[in-house]
This record gives sequence, structure tokens and C-alpha cells, in this order.
Amino acid sequence: MPEFRTEEMVLNMGPQHPSTHGVMRFVVHTDGEVMRVAKPDVGYLHRSIEKIAEKLKYPQFMPFTDRIDYLAAMNCNMGYAMTVEKLAGIEVPPRAEYIRVIASELNRIASHLISVGVMGLELGAVTPFLHAIRERETINDLMEELCGARLTYNYIRIGGVAQDLPAGFAEKTIEFLDHFVPAVDEYNRLLSYNKIFVKRMADVAVISAENAVDYGLVGPNLRASGVKWDLRRDEPYSVYPQFEFDIPVGTGEKGQVGDCYDRYMLRIREMVESSRIIKQCLAAVPDGPVQTKLPASLKVPEGEAYVRTESVRGELGYYVISDGSDKPYRLRIRTGSFSAMSIVELTSRGLMIADLVALIGSLDVVAPEIDR
Amino acid sequence: MRRYFLNIWEAISTIAKGMGVTLVHFTPARKSITIQYPDRTPVPVVETLPERSRGMLTFDPDVCDACSMCAMTCPIDCISIDRERVEGAKGFVLKRFDIDMAKCMYCGLCTEACPVKPKGLEHTREFEGATDRMEDLILEFIDEKKHRELVEKALKKAEKLKAAQNEE
Repeated sequence: MPEFRTEEMVLNMGPQHPSTHGVMRFVVHTDGEVMRVAKPDVGYLHRSIEKIAEKLKYPQFMPFTDRIDYLAAMNCNMGYAMTVEKLAGIEVPPRAEYIRVIASELNRIASHLISVGVMGLELGAVTPFLHAIRERETINDLMEELCGARLTYNYIRIGGVAQDLPAGFAEKTIEFLDHFVPAVDEYNRLLSYNKIFVKRMADVAVISAENAVDYGLVGPNLRASGVKWDLRRDEPYSVYPQFEFDIPVGTGEKGQVGDCYDRYMLRIREMVESSRIIKQCLAAVPDGPVQTKLPASLKVPEGEAYVRTESVRGELGYYVISDGSDKPYRLRIRTGSFSAMSIVELTSRGLMIADLVALIGSLDVVAPEIDR
Repeated sequence: MRRYFLNIWEAISTIAKGMGVTLVHFTPARKSITIQYPDRTPVPVVETLPERSRGMLTFDPDVCDACSMCAMTCPIDCISIDRERVEGAKGFVLKRFDIDMAKCMYCGLCTEACPVKPKGLEHTREFEGATDRMEDLILEFIDEKKHRELVEKALKKAEKLKAAQNEE
């Protein structure tokens, strides 16, 4: 009987593929159904945002930070504003700090909703995605009321926020949260505890805590591997220390710690925690101005500053060097999605091809954030 | 063997649970949240948008004092302003005020920069700007007639000011 000759086959997944979350490519080396390795190839969405920053004045760059991570524009706004404030020594009014936290936590819920919805969608469950989108639509409406846009908010300014909370915003937000927390249970019944979904996610693409730290994973992906590291608690900024909230970590409830299911479940839990923060925050918003008066042409003293914040996809760092003029000399952005892509090559070894989408989905990468 | 059937049972029962959630949506307890856009909405969508909604820009030449702060603030230079000095009048008079809505990213920085009150440059709630010609997206707010009108207005204002000073 002649022996089967098996050859390695090289497959291209992407650049245009519905489950790659944007434009990116994976070069997949396969042996039958099993992958030898999948090499991510990024850079298709590079828009030179860092270079654009050098050509614009400090306040003018704010709309571009929306476009770093379009699902969490508020968090990106906030990181940039905090960096310039640190460098220029600008004080932010307390009311503005609270509004910032409310806005960015709402944005975190919206982004996680997309993330968990898409994880289901990629594994063939279309209905849960529509449920997630429905809840997110309410947040979009709230955001539109707050700042006039639904996706690219451009709301947070250097030294505060653009506008005060609109009338009735707090009531509407609380009404939404009261509806949302039970809706998460409904969502769990619909998808999270579905046996088929659990089978597809549990024990798939396990990332150990050591590997997660070594590869520089941040945010939910790191916490899912069992490392309790959240900048909101460990390196508190803004008004986060005043609030009581838990940091969920991966427990391996259906499989091993750090598998796809942990990464999925962690985001569900984080949405509930964010709701808690928003509720406490709305109850504690002080009165006062929302913006510090800045000179018409903001000149930042010479120096450099690095500020990291806990964005939706993990640690988001801005590094600004100023030469004393009204434009940054250099701006560097460090994002969570980029480091999440680096671990794909390691984790994909020995994985089934069909599980690659589960891995990419559970890492929750956003293509524009990888390339910037 | 027992595990095998248990798996099947779990799969079916959890799917049934999920289907139960879906089924609730067919009961009158849950109203449909989708709307038939664009032609079958009870009121036009534009009217349902909140006050702060950032749609197409609008410009009022009569309140503008031609300071060009908006054009300087715009990060992508989508506002083009030509202005000229008119002999006998103070300040500048607008000759051209074009906004390229195709370039505009609706960030709202220009409306924030506008120093006059009420604001000369503002976002409307109008968002349905789709067109099949790129040129239609360049909004020209000042034509020759408007320019002449503005010049006359500036001269008149200067005259008035002069008369008031003379009286004093």
C-alpha cells in the first residue's frame, strides 16, 4: 500500500475576510485540518496617525484619536487629553473628570457588546449579535445626546470635556443600566451557556499566564489568563480610586484558564462591572465648570510625557515629546491590539483551522488600532 | 456512553433555552425597535435627533465677522475663506466661504472656535447629504451678489459709526 504523501499547504486568510475584524492577513500553514502555524501580517490599515500629529496643533489632533480605535473612541480621547495635560500641567475640573469616566465606561460597555456579539457571529450564531447591537444602539443614542456623534465622538478636550451633561442624561443612563444588567443574563441564556458555543470556545487556544506576560498582552486578554492587572485599580488615574468595582479574571470555569471561553466570559463580566462604576459615578458628579480656560494657542513646555490608561482593549499609552511649540515634536501610541496580534503565531500552532476565527475573535483586535 | 447522551441532552436543552429568549420577542411584551427607513418613519429621522447632533454645517454670512478662526481650527482644511479689506470700512469683508463637506469629518472644532454670538457656523441635524456629484458637496455660501451686499453693509455700518462719532 503506497504511503500518503502529505504536503504543507499555505493558505491566505484575508486581507479581506469577514472574520478578521478589518483588513489584515494571516498566512496559514496547514497540514490537513490542523495548522502548523498562522503568521499574522498587519499594516494594511496604516494611516500615519502618529505623523499627522506632528503636523497639527495639540487640540486639533483630538478628532484623529477617535480613529485609533473606532469602537472605543472615548477612551482614546481621554488618554491623549491626559497626556497633554500632564505635559502642560493643566488642571481638569472635578466635574469634567466624572463626566469623562461616565463616557468612557459607557463606551467600554458598547465596545464589549460588539466584541461578545462578534465572537458568537464568527462561530455561526447570528441572533446574539443582533441582541448585542440592540443594547449598543441605546448607548449610541446616549452618546449622540451627550456629544452629537455616534461613533467618532471627539468629546473630551484638553482641560475638560466639550459640553456639560445634557438635561435628563443621568436619568436616561440609569434607566438603560437598569434594563441592561438583566439583559446580560438574557444574553447568557441565549449564548454564553449554549453547549455548542461552550464546546467551540472552551479549551481552545489556551494562553498561559507566563506567555501572556511575556508577549505583552494587556487588558482583558491578560486578565483572562489569570493575571489580575488593571490600570484602573493598580495605577489609578482620574477619579477611579473613589469607586468600588471588581476586576474579573479568567477562572477556567468551562475549561482551562486562559482559553477562548475565559476571554469571552471576562468581557461579559466587565460590562456588569462598568455598569456599577457608571452608577456610582452618576450619583457622585459634583457641580462646577467642565472645562479649564486655555490660551487660544496652546503652547506646551519642552519635555516628554507618557501616560497609560486602561482602554477597552487594554493598556493604551501615549508618548508625547514637545519642543516647546504648539505642535508635538513626536507622538507615539501604544495599543493593546498590536501586542495581541503577536501571540497569534505562538497560540495557533496545532490549532484547527476553524478555531483560528475563535482565537482572533476572542482576542478582540480592531484592525485600525493595530496599524494606526 | 452516558457522557455521549448527556452531551446531546445538554446541547438540545441549552439551545431550547436560547430559543426561549428568542420566542419572548414574538410576544407583545417586546415591541419591535426597528424602523422602516427612510420613507416609512412616522416623523422624519432628522427631527428625532438630539439637539447636539453633528450633521451638515451651515453658515450665516450676516453674523460672521470674517475672523477666519474656523478655517484655522479645522484639522483638515476643509473651509476655504477669501476676504478683502474695503476702503472706508473696518475689518474684513468675506468674498468666498466654501466648505467641502466631502472632506469634513464632522468633528465640530470649527463651531466651537466661532467667537461671534449667535454663532455664524453651526452644525445642523441634517445628515442625508448623499449625492452622485462630488461638486455638490462643496457648499458655497457667498456668491457675487451676497458679496456686494456684504460690502454695502460694511460701508453703511462704517458711515453710521462715523455719524455717531461726529454727534459726540
